[in-house]
Amino acid sequence: MPVVVHADKCNTCHGSHNPPCVRMCPGDLLMKDPKTGKILMRDPAECWDCLPCVKVCPQEAIEFRLSYQLGFHTARLLPHIHDTRDFITWELIDTEGAIDNFTIRTKVLPVELDEKIEGVAAVDFSI
Amino acid sequence: MEQNIIETDILIIGGGTAGCLAAVEVRERFPNLSVTIMEKAHIDRSGCLAGGMNAINAYLNPGETPESFVKYVRFDSCGLIREDLVLSMSKLFEYCVKKVEKWGLPILCDEKGNYIPRGRWNIKINGESLKPIIAKAAKNAGTKVLNWVVATNYLVVDGKVGGAVGVSIRNGNLFIVKAKATIIATGGAAGIYKPNNAHDAQHKTWYCPYNTGAGFAMGIRAGAEMTSFEMRYIGLRVKDTIAPTGTIALGVGAPQINSKGEKFMATKYAHIGGDGAPTPYRSHGPIQEIKEGRGPVYLDTRHITSQQARDLKSAFLDMYPSMVLYWAANEIDPSKEPVEVQTTEPYIVGGHTQSGYWIDVNRKTTLDGLYAAGDVSGGAPYKFVSGCWAEGVIAAMNAGEYAQKNEFMEIPADIIEEEQNRVFAPLLSFTNKKDGIRPYDMEVRLQKIMEEYAGGAATFYEVSEERLHVAKRRLSTLPDQFKHLIAEELHELMKAHEVIDRVYVAQTLVEHMLYRKETRWPGYCTRTDYTERDDEQWLKFVNSRRDVVTGNIEVFTRPYEQIVPGDRYKPR
Repeated sequence: MPVVVHADKCNTCHGSHNPPCVRMCPGDLLMKDPKTGKILMRDPAECWDCLPCVKVCPQEAIEFRLSYQLGFHTARLLPHIHDTRDFITWELIDTEGAIDNFTIRTKVLPVELDEKIEGVAAVDFSI
Repeated sequence: MEQNIIETDILIIGGGTAGCLAAVEVRERFPNLSVTIMEKAHIDRSGCLAGGMNAINAYLNPGETPESFVKYVRFDSCGLIREDLVLSMSKLFEYCVKKVEKWGLPILCDEKGNYIPRGRWNIKINGESLKPIIAKAAKNAGTKVLNWVVATNYLVVDGKVGGAVGVSIRNGNLFIVKAKATIIATGGAAGIYKPNNAHDAQHKTWYCPYNTGAGFAMGIRAGAEMTSFEMRYIGLRVKDTIAPTGTIALGVGAPQINSKGEKFMATKYAHIGGDGAPTPYRSHGPIQEIKEGRGPVYLDTRHITSQQARDLKSAFLDMYPSMVLYWAANEIDPSKEPVEVQTTEPYIVGGHTQSGYWIDVNRKTTLDGLYAAGDVSGGAPYKFVSGCWAEGVIAAMNAGEYAQKNEFMEIPADIIEEEQNRVFAPLLSFTNKKDGIRPYDMEVRLQKIMEEYAGGAATFYEVSEERLHVAKRRLSTLPDQFKHLIAEELHELMKAHEVIDRVYVAQTLVEHMLYRKETRWPGYCTRTDYTERDDEQWLKFVNSRRDVVTGNIEVFTRPYEQIVPGDRYKPR
C-alpha cells in the first residue's frame, strides 16, 4: 500500500478537473472517484514510491507508506513544503513514535490546482 | 474515438531528462521551428527524475577533461565504448549544468562559490524538484506539450521517419503527429525480468517502472539498428528498497563486506581497482559472494558518525525518500550496522550501460529523420542525468538542421488505419466480451521466461547457449498472442502496449546475448559457456536490425574505434 489517500483531508482541490496529484503521478495511478471527486489509488502494486503526489498535495492528504513486507507499522515520513517554497521539512517518525525532522533546501515551483489538457476536451476528463 | 492530426517541425517523444533539454535547445537555436513533446505521463514529474536527484554524476570536476572522462568510462565499461559519443557529450556537461542551474536548480557550493565534488565526476545538488524545473524551462520555451499521450509507432515511409502515432489515455483519441524531424527520448526498459519485490512492492524498482522500452520497440519495429542490448544494467542497490548505493559508497566511503566481514572487493578484485573496480565487477563481486555462500553482503558504514548518518538520510530524501523511512521502519541505524545490499533485476538502458539505438556523433539513428537521446540511445554509457541533457542538446541541434531542409512527408492513409487497428485492438476485444489475456498476465509470463532462461537474478544472471535458446523459443510465441490481449479501460490499454513493447525488447536482447560469445561484462551478462573476455574476437559492438517484412532479427558486428590513447583497462 505505497500511497494512502486520507479522504477526510482531500478537498478535491475545490472541484478541480485535473488536480495536481493526478498530474504528478508518472504512472497514471491516481484518479478521481466518480462519486465523490476525491482521489483514489488505481492500483497500489503499480506505485513506484517516488512521492511527487505526496509533496504536491496542498492538503497533505496523501501519505506514503512502505509496503508492509519492507517495513514495520507505524513508521511514517511526512514532507512539509515551507510557505516560502525554498525548503522542505521531512518529518520522520519511527515505530516507537520518536520524531526526527530534516530540513533541506529546494526550489518548489508553484502548481495550479487545475490544468487544461492539450488536445482533450474538459468533458472527457471531468466528472 | 477521434483522430487528432498535428503538424510540428520537431516532434520529441518523451518529455524527460533528455527530451526537455532538447526542446529548449531547438527553440533557442531555431526560433522559427515549432516543437511538440509527446509524453505518456505529465512532463512536470515524468520518467526517471520523478522522485528527484541528489547529485549530477557525470561532470568534469577540477583537473578532469573530456579525454580523462573517456578513459574512465572506457575502463568502467570494460574497454568497449563509442569514444566519439562519450567525448562529444562530456564537452557539453558544463554547458548543460550551468543552464539548469540558471533555471533554478540548487547546486551545493563551498564558501568560494565552487561546486562541491563527490569523487571525480560527481557534484551534489538539492534536486528534489529537478524535474519540474526542467519541465518549466521546456514549457517557457514555447513547446507544445501533449501530456498523457502514449507513443505507439513511428510514421515511416521508405525507411524515413515523419513523426509518430500515439494514443491519449485521457480520452482515447489517436494522435497523429507529423514532423519534419523526430527525436526519440523515451528512456530505457524496466520490467523485462522478474522484479526484486513482489505483491504491492513489485514496482519498488530502481529504474522507473513506467519506462517500458517504448522507444526501443518502436525502433525495432521500424527496422532501426540497435546496439549492445547484451550489456544489461544490473546495479548494486540497497537491499529491499533498491535505492542507489552511490550516495553511500561515494558519500561516506563504504567498502563492500561479506557475512564474514571480509572486504572481498579489496582482496579478490584488487587487480582491477578493488572497491573502485568497473561497475559490472562491483555487482559481479557480491553476486559471487552470495552464490558461494558468504552472503548477505553489506556496505560497511559502521565507521560513520551520527552526523554523517543524518547527512546520508538528507541526501536520500532529495532522491529516494523511501530509503529513510525503511531505516526508521526497521530500526536500522547505518552508523551502527552495515547496510545490506543486493543486485537489481536486469534493466536495458543506454545511460548507465550502452544499450540502444546505433547513432552517429550527431545522434542521428539509422533511420532518416530520426534522432535519439538519453537512455534510449546506445554506445555511450555513464551518461546519467547530465549526459542525457548533453545528448538532448546535440540531437536538438542536428534535428533542427534537418527540419530546416526537409518538408512534411505524405503519410498514406493505410499506415494510419493499420496502426489505429493495432492500438485499439485490446479495448475492442474487451468490449466484444472476448475471453483473453490481461496485460499483467502477459507481463508475468514474459518475466518468468526471462528470469528462468535468460539470466535472471535467480540464476545469478548467468546465461548459456542452451538456456538462451529455450528463452528464444518461448518468446517467439508471445507476438502471436498479442491478438488475445484485452484491456478494460485506457490505463490498461497503455499497459497492454507496454507489455507488447517489452516483448520486442526481450526478443532483441536474447539475440544479442546469444551472439556475443565472451564474457565482457561479468555480472551484467555472465556466459557460463564463454567465461572469459576475448578482445581478439569480440572487441566490437554487437548490433541488430529487425526485418520489417519478415520480422527476423539480423545480428552483426560493428568495429570499435579507439580515439583517446592509453591502456583501455586503466581508469586514468
